[in-house]
Amino acid sequence: MKELKHIFSFPFRKKLNGEYLISLGVSVAAALLVGALIMALCGHHPLEGYGAMFRGALSSPRALGDTLAKSATLCLTGLAMAVAAQAGIFNVGGEGQLYLGAMASAIVGGYLTDWPAWLVVPLALLAAMAAGGLYALLPAWLKVRLKVNEVITTIMLNSAAIYFCKYLINGPLKTTERGISAGTVKIGADFAFAKVVRLSNLTTSIFLSAAIALGIWYLMKRTSAGYEMKMTGQNQRFASYMGMKSGKLMLMGMLISGAVCGLVGMFEVFGIHKRFVEAVSNEFYYDGMLVAMIMRYDPVGIILMSLFFGVLKIGATGMEQIGIPSEIVLIVQSIIIFFMAAESGITAAVKARAVRTRARRAAQRAGKEAGA
Amino acid sequence: MTQQEPIVRFDRVSMQFPGVLANDDVTLDIQPGEVFALVGENGAGKSTLMNILYGLHQPTSGQVYIKGRAVGRHSPAQAIAMGVGMVHQHFKLVPSFTVAQNIMLSCEPRRRGLFYDFKAARARVEQLSREFGLAIDPDAPVEELSVGLQQRVEILKTLGRGADVLILDEPTAVLTPQETDELFCVIRRVVREKGMTVIIITHKLYEVMAISDRVGVMRGGKLVGVRPTSQVDEKMLASMMVGREVLFSQLSRRAQAGEEAIRVESLQVLSDRGLGAVNGLSFSVHQGEIVGIAAIEGNGQSELVEAICGMRPIRGGQVLVEGKRINGMDPGAVRALGLSHVPEDRLRTGVSRQAAVWENLIAGRQRQRAFAARGVHMKRGAIRDYARKLFEKFDIRAPGVEVSAGSLSGGNMQKVVIAREFSFEARCLVVAQPTRGVDIGAIEFIHRSILEKRDSGCAILLVSADLDEVIRLSDRIITLYEGKITGQFSAGSISKEDIGYYMTGGRQDEEAMA
Repeated sequence: MKELKHIFSFPFRKKLNGEYLISLGVSVAAALLVGALIMALCGHHPLEGYGAMFRGALSSPRALGDTLAKSATLCLTGLAMAVAAQAGIFNVGGEGQLYLGAMASAIVGGYLTDWPAWLVVPLALLAAMAAGGLYALLPAWLKVRLKVNEVITTIMLNSAAIYFCKYLINGPLKTTERGISAGTVKIGADFAFAKVVRLSNLTTSIFLSAAIALGIWYLMKRTSAGYEMKMTGQNQRFASYMGMKSGKLMLMGMLISGAVCGLVGMFEVFGIHKRFVEAVSNEFYYDGMLVAMIMRYDPVGIILMSLFFGVLKIGATGMEQIGIPSEIVLIVQSIIIFFMAAESGITAAVKARAVRTRARRAAQRAGKEAGA
Repeated sequence: MTQQEPIVRFDRVSMQFPGVLANDDVTLDIQPGEVFALVGENGAGKSTLMNILYGLHQPTSGQVYIKGRAVGRHSPAQAIAMGVGMVHQHFKLVPSFTVAQNIMLSCEPRRRGLFYDFKAARARVEQLSREFGLAIDPDAPVEELSVGLQQRVEILKTLGRGADVLILDEPTAVLTPQETDELFCVIRRVVREKGMTVIIITHKLYEVMAISDRVGVMRGGKLVGVRPTSQVDEKMLASMMVGREVLFSQLSRRAQAGEEAIRVESLQVLSDRGLGAVNGLSFSVHQGEIVGIAAIEGNGQSELVEAICGMRPIRGGQVLVEGKRINGMDPGAVRALGLSHVPEDRLRTGVSRQAAVWENLIAGRQRQRAFAARGVHMKRGAIRDYARKLFEKFDIRAPGVEVSAGSLSGGNMQKVVIAREFSFEARCLVVAQPTRGVDIGAIEFIHRSILEKRDSGCAILLVSADLDEVIRLSDRIITLYEGKITGQFSAGSISKEDIGYYMTGGRQDEEAMA
């Protein structure tokens, strides 16, 4: 298990700096190039393909709206990952926290239909945050108290949450509405977030998302608590030696992470589906994790990278329209991640080699001097 | 000594590491069939010399001969093939494997050249175990064995590879006295019955007297003397070990000590292994005095410091800081009472290496009004100004406060720790290994800073493996051995040789003999 943990914790030690941004740019370019090659091999014109991708993501208000909505989801899940990582916890359980948040908000919105919207919507927000946050607290508590590896527990808790929600929508909370195979009852008609762009997925929740993103950036980069979380994540022994309550900080990081994931679920329910359905998330959290890890948990980097990933994701439909399978886009994404992962390994190896060579030369020089 | 051809010969071996001459022109013969003890302070170069023999390091100059054959750039695998085996201080075992699997690791018996033959492995281990009289259960998972038995597995593993020169690197450092006795029986048996040669690295002098035929003393990378054990006593060895000249002049002392600030009463603390590390210590530190703890590594001083600073649970007795009982407090609460702490391991505890220098300097003050509005919003300007001020005052040599602490040299990293801890205006200061791995210039600076603190009325507990440092700075010296006080002296009333004697358990032995 130690080895697995090492793989997961590897990016914690890396910093986002100029050197890294350059290699990131090179990786993206190389990935796009390989993607072009694959398109060409499949008999499509690469430029046309990428053109279709960008058009599909950006050319119409609706496309732009969808791209922004997608980016917001990626951004929030990425930041949720990052805030826990800052405190030294690798939260793989965001998907489950997202599901529970969505379910909690769907129950509030679906069963309090007689209540006014100004009361129900905040209540649903709170319920989603509480459900996601508390569910995240469980593995964090196990880690702090009993040193149980959070990677394992959060993965397991994902399945527990997702199957629990599936049970609810097929059993006790199944709607009797016709045409819905599995889902909760519809939320009150006036509870939903209004569309910002017609027909797109972009709703007024984008403003909340922006505020949350700003808040997390502020917490991570500008507050004493964020600093303490960072020290805990980097060197827990140091943090507690300096008098920081490292256990509490880890719990707090995870609570916030889970709460944000819960909110993402709530936005899906109140913005798009109007009820809890199984498709409330399509592995949104895992995409966010990738963005967070590629950007080394830097909040600003995550916000920017999620925009790029939003274009990739939504642009896939544009490519499909001209006959290029959207799988190509998935391949490009995978290649970017592959290049980034390889980058840190290769850089580390090259640097280690350089250090060894220098040490050996220094030793040889010193030996010659001593001999002379 | 018999005039046989030496089984191992070091001919003018030197080893230069960047910045440190670890071995300086060492010439040494090891005779077959003897138990040779290599003693010296920490960092004297004992382990380096043995690592050269075992092929882990290539000497920068000089030549090593094994059984008359010159070996140059040999690997541990070749050393093993030539009959040299080494048991490291930190065992190299696979915890989840059984004893047999560990012993046969890398030379596993196979069936049809493909399948692991567990039966044959077990049989081979049983045979080894009988042959050397080292009883062990081949099927027990290593992680369930005591450390003493794990060491036995390591020894069997080495013997199983056909070693006839056995290097033991501080084998007793992790053992209980009973386990140590058993180990010594094993050593005597393999030497007597198998004609093996054993080289044992240690810094416990009574062990040298108990087990070795000859002893070599290393100091500062040089081999300063080789004697038959029968012609030396512990006192002589101690003076050879620590006998280097004092690097620095004596410093001004303050005779007047103030009120009691740190009080330790019958303190008991356990080590990581759950054994008693601190066994009923009592002493106190007064304002305006430095109390130095002189002890060889692993005699409870690390655990003592951690217990006083709230980083390790107190099992018995109590610690009072400024009159308040700290049992059960976390490090933050102890700090709030007015105690600062320079930890012994700056890399693991003293800094966050990935964090910037300013982040390390501000630690502990991140919620203070001066640096955080309402304890929330960090005032980046004020923090950086403060960090730059400390950076100047403590003469930290680095490109600036934005670079990561991990990119600093050992001395400068230690200055970061000292700068932070000495700026808390604490009334009590616990300083552990303040100059370990620090260059001479920085040592002077750090010593001066410590004395300034004392003169300003601070109560200082100093723990150091460097005896010169303890003697130079302390107003009172306490010697520890195996978690107990073996002596308390006021500065200047005792010679360095005597301290060395008390540090190595001298008085206890006398008591045992009396």
